[in-house]
Amino acid sequence: MVRRIVAARVDDAAMADDLVQETLVRVLAAAGRVDAGMLEPYAIATARNVVATAWRDRDRQRRNQHRVVDLDTPDPPDTELLASEERAAVAEALARLGDRDREALLAHEVSGRDTRSLAAELGSTPGAVAAQLHRARARLRVEYLLARDHTEPPTDRCRPVLLALSSGDRRRQREVEAGRHLLECDACAGLSQPLLDRAPPREDAVRIPVDGDGDVVAARQAARELAARLGCFSRTDLTLIATAVSEVTRNIVKFAGSGEVVVEVLEEPRTGVRVTARDTGPGIPDVERALQDGYSTYAGLGLGLPGARRLMDEFAIASEVGRGTTVTMTRWCGER
Amino acid sequence: MTGPRLVSILRQGSHLIASVHTALDDTQMTAFQHDLVDRIGRDRSRGVVIDVAALDVLDSFATRTLRTIAEVARLRGAVTVVVGIQPDVAFAMVSLGMDTGALHTALDLEEGLALLDRIAGGRRPAVGARGGPA
Repeated sequence: MVRRIVAARVDDAAMADDLVQETLVRVLAAAGRVDAGMLEPYAIATARNVVATAWRDRDRQRRNQHRVVDLDTPDPPDTELLASEERAAVAEALARLGDRDREALLAHEVSGRDTRSLAAELGSTPGAVAAQLHRARARLRVEYLLARDHTEPPTDRCRPVLLALSSGDRRRQREVEAGRHLLECDACAGLSQPLLDRAPPREDAVRIPVDGDGDVVAARQAARELAARLGCFSRTDLTLIATAVSEVTRNIVKFAGSGEVVVEVLEEPRTGVRVTARDTGPGIPDVERALQDGYSTYAGLGLGLPGARRLMDEFAIASEVGRGTTVTMTRWCGER
Repeated sequence: MTGPRLVSILRQGSHLIASVHTALDDTQMTAFQHDLVDRIGRDRSRGVVIDVAALDVLDSFATRTLRTIAEVARLRGAVTVVVGIQPDVAFAMVSLGMDTGALHTALDLEEGLALLDRIAGGRRPAVGARGGPA
């Protein structure tokens, strides 16, 4: 009888067995205290309680899986407080999701419904449901971080950027200029850290934060290494790439003080490397002039930008006074 | 300076041999320039060989620093020869569009010393007659 009650509520056979055992243990332990005639209702009530407790535990565990930040054995005194804050943050984040997203997420993660049965119910396809769940999780992570820190994003652009980072969608990240935004927005730079840590380390890209002279060397060496791994560049090509990276990174140090350089491998339309050098410095008032040989605003050779352009196959510069400069340059394998 | 030496400057007769052992950042490059110019005065050197064979990149700043060293050394009465520029580095320097016409260069250390002996060996010469716009 106990088994029937439990099995009706739990579809996992192993879990049902465990719960039946636990119920029986409790009933036996209480047998001395309970009237013989009341033993049956007592067993039924106990079974229900045991199942409910098990669900709660499982809920909590499932939700824990979605925590972007794990609390690693904090001090015992504040454990409870932190846990309750966690719960509050998760609950708030869940509440901020759209109704459909929340229901789908809970049905899938908490009740253990698979995408196929959800799709059948919603008149959709498993793939579409999976995509919806993916988006909902990405949003949940962002909302959780915001709720945890009790902050609201300072600008309209923050949420889209954080969402793009959370979902790991690189095309979307480019569209919303995520890299640039993180340089500009301190709040997002802080919030995004756990999101970035989540992403598997990319084999095909490196990011070098630029803060000073030494990073010029670090950036060009990183670029050379990554490009060398492709195996299609000659030693001369690698030196050209490294020299170009050196020039654009130095510009960041000289004019903006800090920024970042991202070097990534391209597969489409051909194999190559793309270098993106980004800063939020003063910007270049006259880009055309800056691209002319010999134009220099400091005591340099004025070769930085025009020189780098000659060393690479493609070169683009976007600069806005007061907002910063982004140089994007690409070198393809097997050209020239 | 901490860690392994990035640069060594050795005296050989009336010449100085400066070897760069590893990639230098701009600050280190500038420090190297000052050290070398100091040594030229102290050692009353007539010739300086700068060996850059260990460098995998000579960008605009590094090139400018070499040119500055050569020009300052010339004003102090010494001839500078840069040796050991790797072929791919040379190619990159040309592509970058750097004007290095004022720099004396030689293939390696041996050639560099021979060149120094030719131009600085006899009398103190009027090197750098081509003057470079450093």
